[in-house]
Amino acid sequence: MKLSNSRLFEQGAAIFRKDFLIGLRRRASFAAMAMFALTSLAALSLATRGEILEPKILAALLWVVIFFAASAGISGTFDDEETAGTLSTLKLYAAPQAVLFGKMFFTFASLAALIIFLLPIFLVLFDCGVEEIFLLVTTIFFGAVGISSAGTLTAALTTSATVKGGLFPILLFPVTLPIFLPAIRLTEFAFAGGECGAEFLILMAIYDAILITAASILYDYLD
Amino acid sequence: MLKFLVALTAAIIAAIIFFVPPVKGLGDLAKIIFFHVPTAWVSVIAFFTSAFYAAKFLRTGEFSCDELSAKAARLGFIFVLLATISGAIFSKLTWGTFWNWDPRQTTIFVLILIYGAYLTLRAAVSAEKIRAKVSAVYSLLSVLTVPFLVFILPRMYFSLHPEPVLNSAGRPEMDAEILIALIAAVIDATLIFWWLMRKK
Amino acid sequence: MIDEIIFEDVGLSFGGREIFKSVSLKIKAGRVIGIVGQNGAGKSTFLKLAAKIIQPDTGEIKIHDEKFLSRAEILHRIAAVTPEMKIYDDLTAEENLNFFSRLRGKILTAEKIFELGGRVGLDFEIFGRERVKNFSTGMRQRLKFLILLSVDAEILLLDEPTANLDDAGKKIFLAEIKNAAQSGKTVLLATNDKLDAEACDEIIKLPII
Repeated sequence: MKLSNSRLFEQGAAIFRKDFLIGLRRRASFAAMAMFALTSLAALSLATRGEILEPKILAALLWVVIFFAASAGISGTFDDEETAGTLSTLKLYAAPQAVLFGKMFFTFASLAALIIFLLPIFLVLFDCGVEEIFLLVTTIFFGAVGISSAGTLTAALTTSATVKGGLFPILLFPVTLPIFLPAIRLTEFAFAGGECGAEFLILMAIYDAILITAASILYDYLD
Repeated sequence: MLKFLVALTAAIIAAIIFFVPPVKGLGDLAKIIFFHVPTAWVSVIAFFTSAFYAAKFLRTGEFSCDELSAKAARLGFIFVLLATISGAIFSKLTWGTFWNWDPRQTTIFVLILIYGAYLTLRAAVSAEKIRAKVSAVYSLLSVLTVPFLVFILPRMYFSLHPEPVLNSAGRPEMDAEILIALIAAVIDATLIFWWLMRKK
Repeated sequence: MIDEIIFEDVGLSFGGREIFKSVSLKIKAGRVIGIVGQNGAGKSTFLKLAAKIIQPDTGEIKIHDEKFLSRAEILHRIAAVTPEMKIYDDLTAEENLNFFSRLRGKILTAEKIFELGGRVGLDFEIFGRERVKNFSTGMRQRLKFLILLSVDAEILLLDEPTANLDDAGKKIFLAEIKNAAQSGKTVLLATNDKLDAEACDEIIKLPII
C-alpha cells in the first residue's frame, strides 16, 4: 500500500513547519540571504551613485540581486541536513515526494520573505518608480516559483558533491534562464508602464509548471 | 572508418577552398562559416545525445550509458567552444562586432554554460554511483531549457542571424555550391562526432 | 503484517570491494535476528539491503506480507536506530518526537509521550522542552529509540542500538526489542556487543560469501 496523497501532503506540511522552526532558530540561512541582498544592493547603488538608470537596467539589476541572494540561501536546503546527519533519518521516515515538496514550499516562502525585504530597499536606493504594481507582483511570484522549484532540485544535486564552492549558482543559472529573460522584460514594463506582455507571463507560468513536474519526476531517481 | 573520414574531410576542405565561390562580398576568411555551421550543429546533437543516454541510464542503471552521456557532453563542450569562436570571427567579418548577444549567440552561450555546469558537477562528485545519477538528472533538467531558449528568445529580440537554410518558402536562398558544401560539411562533422563517440 | 524478507542471490560491491556475493537467505518476522561480524564486514549495509533502502548490484531482495512489496510500499513501514541517522539538534525532544511520529501519521498525546518516555528512561517532564543539542550521547540514543517505538513500524533496523548506554539502559532496550519481535515485527539487530548478541533468537554471521 502506497501513501495516499493526503498523507503525502501531511508529511510535506510537517517538513515545511519543521524547516521553518529550525530556520527561525538558527537564522543562518535567512541572515545569509538578507545580508547578501543588502550587500549587493549597496554595492550596486554605490557604484551607480548619481546616475539615472533606465528601467531596463534596473530590472536586470533587480533580478541579478534576487538570483544571487536566493542562491546564497537555497543552496543549503539539503546540505544543512546532510551535514547534521538528519537527512538520512528524514528520508527514512518521509516519502521522497513529501521531502521534495516540503522543502520546495519552504524555499518559496524564504524567497518570498527575501523579496519582500529587498524590494522596498531596491526601489528607494535606486529611486525607482513602479507603474504597474500588479504586473510586478505577478512577475515576481512566477519568478520565485521557478527559482524555488529548480533551486530545490539543484540543492539536492549539489548535496552529494565533495567540492561545493560556487557549484550551486553555476548549475542553477542556465536552468532558470528561461524565467529570467521574460522576468526582466516584464519587470521593465512594470517599472516604465506601457505594453503589458501577457504572453511572457504565460510563458513563465508554463515553464514553472514544467520545472515543478520535472523536479518531481527527477527527484525520485536521486533517492 | 578513420581513413574514410580523413579522406572525406580533406576532400570537403579542398572543395571549399578551391571550388566554392567566396561568400558575397566577404572575402575568403568568411569561409569559416563552413566550419562554424557544422560545429554548432554537432554541439546541439551532442547535447541531445548526452540527454538521451542520461535518460537511458536512469531507466536501466547501466553505467555504460553514464559513460556515453559524459563522453557526449565532453565532445559537445569542445565543439561548442569551436562553434562559438568561429561564430564570433564570422560575426566580426559580417556585422563588425565579435559579440552582440544575438538570440543564437545567446543560445550557444547558454549551451556553453550548461556543458560547463554539467562537467563541473561531474568533477565535484567523487562517488561513482551518485555521480552518474546526479549528472543524469542535471542533464535532463537542462534539456528543458532548449525549447524555451529557441522559441522565447527570437520573439523577444531582433536577430541578425541569417534565415535558416531553408526559409519559410521552402526554397534555399543561397547558391547551390555553397549549400551542397555546407550540407557535406555538416554530414562530415556528424560522422566525426559519431566516430569519436564509438572510439574507446 | 510483513512476515518474511528473502535474499535471492544477492551481490553488492562498494568501491570495487565485494561485500556480498550470491547471498541467499530468509529472515522471518517475530524473532530478533542478530547480525554480527567484524568492522567492515557489512553489517550496516546488510540492514539497508534488507529494508530495500539500497539496491543490490545483482540478485533481489523480496519483502512479503500477503504479496511481495515494492520499495515505495515498505518505506513507511520501516523504522531505524543507527549511528548515521541523527535527530534535529535545534528542536526539543518533544518536537523531534512529534515531528517524526507525525510523518508516520501518528499524533501523540501528552500522556502517551510521557508513557513512552518512561519506557526508555527519558523523563519528558524535565527534558521534553530542552533542545537536543544539549543532550548527552546516551540521551540522544534513548530519544532515537523512543521515536522508533512511537511510530509502530513493522521492520525495525537496529545498528548498535545499545552503544553509549549504561547497563540498566541496555537491559531496558533489549527487553523492548524482544517485546517488539514477539508482537510479530521483523527485527534486525546489528551488533558487536555480547549482551546484545545473547538477546537474539538467531544469529547471522558476516561475511557470508
